[in-house]
Amino acid sequence: MIKSSGDEVQEPVTKIDKLIHELSRYTIMAYLYVVEVADFLFLLRQTGMTWGNMSAHLSKLETVGYVVIEKEFLGKKPHTTVRLTDQGRNAFEDYRGNMKRVLDNLPTK
Amino acid sequence: MIEDINLKEIQRKVYMSFFQDGLWDIFLGLFLLGWGLAILTDIAYLPGITFIGLYFAIWGVKKRLTYPRIGYARFSETSRRRITARVLILGVVVLLVGVMVAVLWGIDRRPQWLADYFPLIFNGILAAVVCVVAYWARINRFYLYAALIFLGGVFNLWLGVRWEFGFIGAGCVIVLIGVVVLIIFLRKYPKMVEGVKINDKK
Repeated sequence: MIKSSGDEVQEPVTKIDKLIHELSRYTIMAYLYVVEVADFLFLLRQTGMTWGNMSAHLSKLETVGYVVIEKEFLGKKPHTTVRLTDQGRNAFEDYRGNMKRVLDNLPTK
Repeated sequence: MIEDINLKEIQRKVYMSFFQDGLWDIFLGLFLLGWGLAILTDIAYLPGITFIGLYFAIWGVKKRLTYPRIGYARFSETSRRRITARVLILGVVVLLVGVMVAVLWGIDRRPQWLADYFPLIFNGILAAVVCVVAYWARINRFYLYAALIFLGGVFNLWLGVRWEFGFIGAGCVIVLIGVVVLIIFLRKYPKMVEGVKINDKK
């Protein structure tokens, strides 16, 4: 079967991970990509999100296995750390590659 | 490309977050003060003690003041290796220059230029190290600190100001700037525990 130029553009588009393709989740994953582990507060401060918003996005990322959330107590205070899993790291790299291909394949004006 | 730039920008933000509390400024300022006082009082081990004492004290204060306000992140293994390599290279270069100066200083027929310009050379090396830190950490105020340190050597050579006073003066100014940065940081970021902002007015 001969592929049309439209298929060439669409193929990487279909591979784009919809879960990462959301600004807040992309930002969280980008921060976790450059550090090994970060606590909840660090992510909050860096991204400027609210507690609820951050929790909801992290839960989604945890459900698909992109991040690991560990809860502990430092003294009497709760402390949550988050890290990217290998699966999450690979998914983030794939996402970036696919996005680049999509943008590169767009016809110039 | 845009995404590469964004990731680099994020990495830069993370690096810079470690300097925004002003504690490393205070560390540098107090170290210079210690150095100046060591020359003034002729206590050779004072800079070493100051350095080690301050280093551990800074981490303790960071744990109590900084992390409850802006959180904590550990760099990736690759980044940590890169930072360690940079610190080691910088340390080795400083050590080599130091050994070279010490050897030149120790030989019987010490070069006259070394005797004449020693404070300028010494302060210049120290200023260069601070410049490298400023460049790596991308903290512009550290360039000012480097200039202050270098000026100590210049003042000694051309204005006859005692060498140790250059360190003490620069140290005081740097500590003062560090304290201002720390106060701004404390006001900007109230202490937080998960889910609750402490000191937050209801």
